[in-house]
Amino acid sequence: MNSNVVRILFLKDLYLSRHFLFGYLAGAMASAILTCLPYKPVSDIGFLLMITVTIATGIHMIGLLMLGDGIEHTRAFVLSMPVSVLDYSVSKIAVVLCTFLIPWSLMLGVAMMGSYLLPYAKPGVVVVLPAIFCFMLSCFTIQLVSAVVTDSIGWTIVVMVAGNVGLNLFLMNFNSDPAIVAAAKSDTVTWPALAIQVLAIEWLVIIGSVVLAFYLQTRKRDLV
Amino acid sequence: MVQLFGVTKRYSHFQLQPVDLTLAPGMVMGLIGPNGAGKSTVMRIMMGLVNPDSGSARVLGHSMSSNVSLVKQEIGYFSDDLRLYNGESLGWHMDLVRSMYPTWDPEYAQELLTKFGLLDRQRIKGLSHGQRVKAMLLLIFARRPKLLILDEPTNGLDPVAKQEVLAELMQVMNQEDRSIIYSSHQTQDVEQISDWLTFIDRGRVIASDNRDDFLECWRRIKLRAPDSWKLPAIPGLQQDSQLQNFRVMTIDRYDETIAKRLVESGAELEAVEPMTLEEIFVGVVSRGRQAEAR
Repeated sequence: MNSNVVRILFLKDLYLSRHFLFGYLAGAMASAILTCLPYKPVSDIGFLLMITVTIATGIHMIGLLMLGDGIEHTRAFVLSMPVSVLDYSVSKIAVVLCTFLIPWSLMLGVAMMGSYLLPYAKPGVVVVLPAIFCFMLSCFTIQLVSAVVTDSIGWTIVVMVAGNVGLNLFLMNFNSDPAIVAAAKSDTVTWPALAIQVLAIEWLVIIGSVVLAFYLQTRKRDLV
Repeated sequence: MVQLFGVTKRYSHFQLQPVDLTLAPGMVMGLIGPNGAGKSTVMRIMMGLVNPDSGSARVLGHSMSSNVSLVKQEIGYFSDDLRLYNGESLGWHMDLVRSMYPTWDPEYAQELLTKFGLLDRQRIKGLSHGQRVKAMLLLIFARRPKLLILDEPTNGLDPVAKQEVLAELMQVMNQEDRSIIYSSHQTQDVEQISDWLTFIDRGRVIASDNRDDFLECWRRIKLRAPDSWKLPAIPGLQQDSQLQNFRVMTIDRYDETIAKRLVESGAELEAVEPMTLEEIFVGVVSRGRQAEAR
């Protein structure tokens, strides 16, 4: 692998996605701030907006950066330069993850800090937020795998829809669990076993999906 | 410079039969074939964009299966279906390519900008097809590659733009000992710049020879012969059509003895005409297809 080539390709894609990335960062910041406000309907809207921004960022960045080169026929241009399949794959997966993780971390960070530091907030919510955000991250990494395997925006959207349905089911079940409800309403941060188990499974899925996406991408015989 | 040994590639709708091809240093090879013949597949294999199912490809002394990015430092590749980033300027693309190639020649790039009538601040989406082709060729030529793989570079260009591109290509050829493989189904372009021709049809290389030999060996013979005339054995007779006692033949192994033999057999020779590369191309393809049918 040529790290200089990977760096150039990574920066190129980051540059190409800059306008959308700034837009999603603004949306992420606004929705995270709304979530931290002391008015229930507003903070609920903020929370819904955070989920929306996360889902939109994921599908957009996969479409733009992972599938865009194929759709726009720019992949042949990139691969006509001294770029190996490994260089290309590493830079693509890294930049897609990065453009998703920047707004994702911002929202999670602001919401966590707000829950912990604001006088009117319940610090116990800190236990719930990572599980929800990591669920969305795991859905995103599964979409990444589907994009690599199918090279199709249609199939990636199907996986995204399935992920959204899964998120709704997850929110309904996770947020109604008595241990989670109690922890969320608590004035101190205590981690119930269920939250830790869920996080462990989510990270397993996230790491497994990224490794699988990378493995499948580098195994492709022809990229053009 | 380029060596393909028994290279094959199978797609659901197309199969490239074992291809053996050699491109010597300094050689300009024209790869001619109808649409869907396999020209682009051969070139993608040379470029390492497509992996062959069997056989091997060696380019600039390296195997394309293991040293692809190293070899690509020395190759300039153009394809009709290759696109630049629409939203970005030509200058942005020049910076990107320059960052990848230590051999990038900024002065030559500026010279080409002027010659091709391009501006580096122009966005790609605002360029015409001809300008896009020129922009792409600028990005290739300014890296000073040792090997140029050009897949239908003049496709869709107006006559003026085509001549500009071909003129620059000929200048590039004269500058250094550079090898070029150039595909097209427009035989006039290929004839202008190539010194070696390879014909490909239905995934099979059907002929490969020196351009001058092709042009020398193929002839159209027009003659008149009485009804009782019997055609003598003629090597390389490809086509023989007859209207009453007027006959037109095409021959792919012409020499002076053939005309002599026809006259001696009682035919009255009206003309022995050289054939255009397009006619030769059609003749070679028909011959290949007839052989395949048998």
